[in-house]
Amino acid sequence: MLKLLRDLVAVAGNEFRQFRRNKTAILISLVVLPLFFTVSLGAAGGGPTTTFSPTANIPITFIDNDLSAESSQLLQALRSSGDFDRIILGYREDSALAVLGTGKIYAAIVIPEGFHTRLANNQTSEIILYTDDGEPGIGDQLSVTLRSVVQDFNPNVEVQAERRGLTQVEIVQKGALFSSFNIGLVIVLGVVQIFATFYEIAGGMSREREDGTLARLLVSPTGIAPIMLGKTLFVSVLAIIRTFIVLGLAVYVFGARPSTDLVTLLAVSLIIALVTMGFGFVVSSFRVGARAVVIVEFFLVLFLFAFSGLVIDKELLRGVSKTISNILPWAYGFELLRRTVLIGRPLLSLTTELSIIFGSTLLFYVFSYAIFAYSRERLAF
Amino acid sequence: MRLARDSTAIAFKELRQLSRDPVSLILTFMFPILLIGIFIVIAGAFSAPSYNIPVVVADLDTSPASTVLVDKMTTSPIIHVTQLVSTEEQALHHVEAGDAMGAVIIPQGFGESLLTTGRAFIVLQTDNSKITAPTLIQAAVNRDAEDLASTEGSQFGIKEVAIEVVVRPISGRPPTGDVILPGFLSMIAILGAFDDIVNAITRERERGTFPRLLLSPVNILSVYSGKMFATVLLTAVRTTLMLIIFVLMGLAIRGNILLIYITTALIAVFTLSLGLVMSARIRGSSTLTVLEIALTFPLFQLTGVFQSPELLAAGGRAISRALPWTYGNEALRRVIYLGLGIDAIAGDLLILLIGSLVMLPIALTLSKRTM
Repeated sequence: MLKLLRDLVAVAGNEFRQFRRNKTAILISLVVLPLFFTVSLGAAGGGPTTTFSPTANIPITFIDNDLSAESSQLLQALRSSGDFDRIILGYREDSALAVLGTGKIYAAIVIPEGFHTRLANNQTSEIILYTDDGEPGIGDQLSVTLRSVVQDFNPNVEVQAERRGLTQVEIVQKGALFSSFNIGLVIVLGVVQIFATFYEIAGGMSREREDGTLARLLVSPTGIAPIMLGKTLFVSVLAIIRTFIVLGLAVYVFGARPSTDLVTLLAVSLIIALVTMGFGFVVSSFRVGARAVVIVEFFLVLFLFAFSGLVIDKELLRGVSKTISNILPWAYGFELLRRTVLIGRPLLSLTTELSIIFGSTLLFYVFSYAIFAYSRERLAF
Repeated sequence: MRLARDSTAIAFKELRQLSRDPVSLILTFMFPILLIGIFIVIAGAFSAPSYNIPVVVADLDTSPASTVLVDKMTTSPIIHVTQLVSTEEQALHHVEAGDAMGAVIIPQGFGESLLTTGRAFIVLQTDNSKITAPTLIQAAVNRDAEDLASTEGSQFGIKEVAIEVVVRPISGRPPTGDVILPGFLSMIAILGAFDDIVNAITRERERGTFPRLLLSPVNILSVYSGKMFATVLLTAVRTTLMLIIFVLMGLAIRGNILLIYITTALIAVFTLSLGLVMSARIRGSSTLTVLEIALTFPLFQLTGVFQSPELLAAGGRAISRALPWTYGNEALRRVIYLGLGIDAIAGDLLILLIGSLVMLPIALTLSKRTM
């Protein structure tokens, strides 16, 4: 037991020495990956405390073909809503349509003739929204925002009331609302660990084989278990440092406030890193080259995006997609992150997710150990 | 003249090398197919006719109006009412425990309020830690409430909506998930070019053939332009493959096909130029590939693949506008969806070209220094 510990620490120490000498590895593992993912998340959607209307800065033209008091009031309501700060006037309907798609304006709101007459007669009036659907998402976002502004528009009132939601049956949202940054932070915390730890284990093993040092390591009196555990210890330390970097950026730069304590956050990150390390050992036990490791990594991350609830909730998947999602241990890892970081559930109360992820980790380690032990010589060269 | 001859020779050497390496050959064309495969799965999940998202309902009113609303929710294809509970606490507990993804609470006095004031409210609690389910539940409940207003409106004293917004997309296309396909084409050009740079420079360095190439009587500019020429040809093949898949998926391509090829070629050339700069510093092929893949994922968000850069926060919009790929994406969308011509995308193409022209001398200088 003491020998195992001594060997394990020796292997980990060797890994740290090698890592310290490799500036590129330090840069990618501890700077580029955590920094790039977290900063792009914050830059794209703003921090959790910043509120911004996605439509506020989109240039839109307002074409008033009715020229009535009501249509002017509607323009005023749009301008004061905070959702349409770049309304451009002066276009005719045909000239606006000719410009749409060129990037000068992204939508045209047209008030048709007879707008006020229909309103006065208690009939439904129409507003036409032409959108540049060459820009993904703009049309949907603008129509949702415009609908919510006009639903509370009252042509008989000079100053429009504060927006309240639906006119007839209002839906009051209860429960904690999470900013897109906090939801993104869960994804970044998981993806950064998976991306880095998989490459550190599987890529590290394949590089050792290609450099010929794995053969030397395997013929040394060090057993396979200390080699695997020593590398695990080394990568675990890196995983913890990475978690600190991502959290540091998220909390101190972007103002994120996770709903759980630091120990839980570190524990969940480490759990995800461990299952990925186990998978990394499984892949390297098949004697794959460094290039193949990178390709497996690419597809692993792609699979995670599609089937782990990062783009669409795994509960909404059907058929083969659902089966894949159910057998991916990382999907449960992301669930752990969501439940703890966002909702603040105690980690130990999530027994199903914990059992699945620990079971998978154990399975990966036992399987790769067995392969390493069985085909020790074949794997060395 | 000599530059052109040498560049062509290098380009053909690259293609010959690739044709002799079946694994790389398969991989270089598998990226697009697998990416699109994943997209089809995701898009399929988003456009599923039914989801059966588990929701519990607490009807505390039991008036005729609330009963109609509950009936509408039970027949919704989006949500699946798993349980009718009697208290608000029970409903909320189901969501907190993870048994249901949403709880709808119809408060006491709902029907009465509709009859007397024409307005009422319902309470909706969703598991907001989920990505898509809360929006779908809200939309489904919203639709049921609107339905209640439009079909049984007069019965419960509800007025019609005063102003209706009619949305007309300028391309005339139905609003479907294929809006991100041009962005995918661009990402495939980027990923492919990154893969080419790994094959072209770092693996050549690892095999020890790069110094030999530089010692031959060929200018380094010819070496780089030859490798670029090979990438342009490979990008054309990848683009063809993608366009075939797009057409098979039912996407109507409105613009000039040649403009699509020019745009993807320029995206690839810019990516290759950046890759040349990176490869001057990062020598290992696997390290470079990992770094490039890691950089690619945030680009999905920042270059407007999934949503327009105009919808990003101020910082994100600034970053997005500083990335030449954003302009490539824009150009592809304008050509494919709107059928616009060269005059509409000339600015975008120029930015990609300038980006490449800035990167290439940097790559040449760095390569000479680190040779």
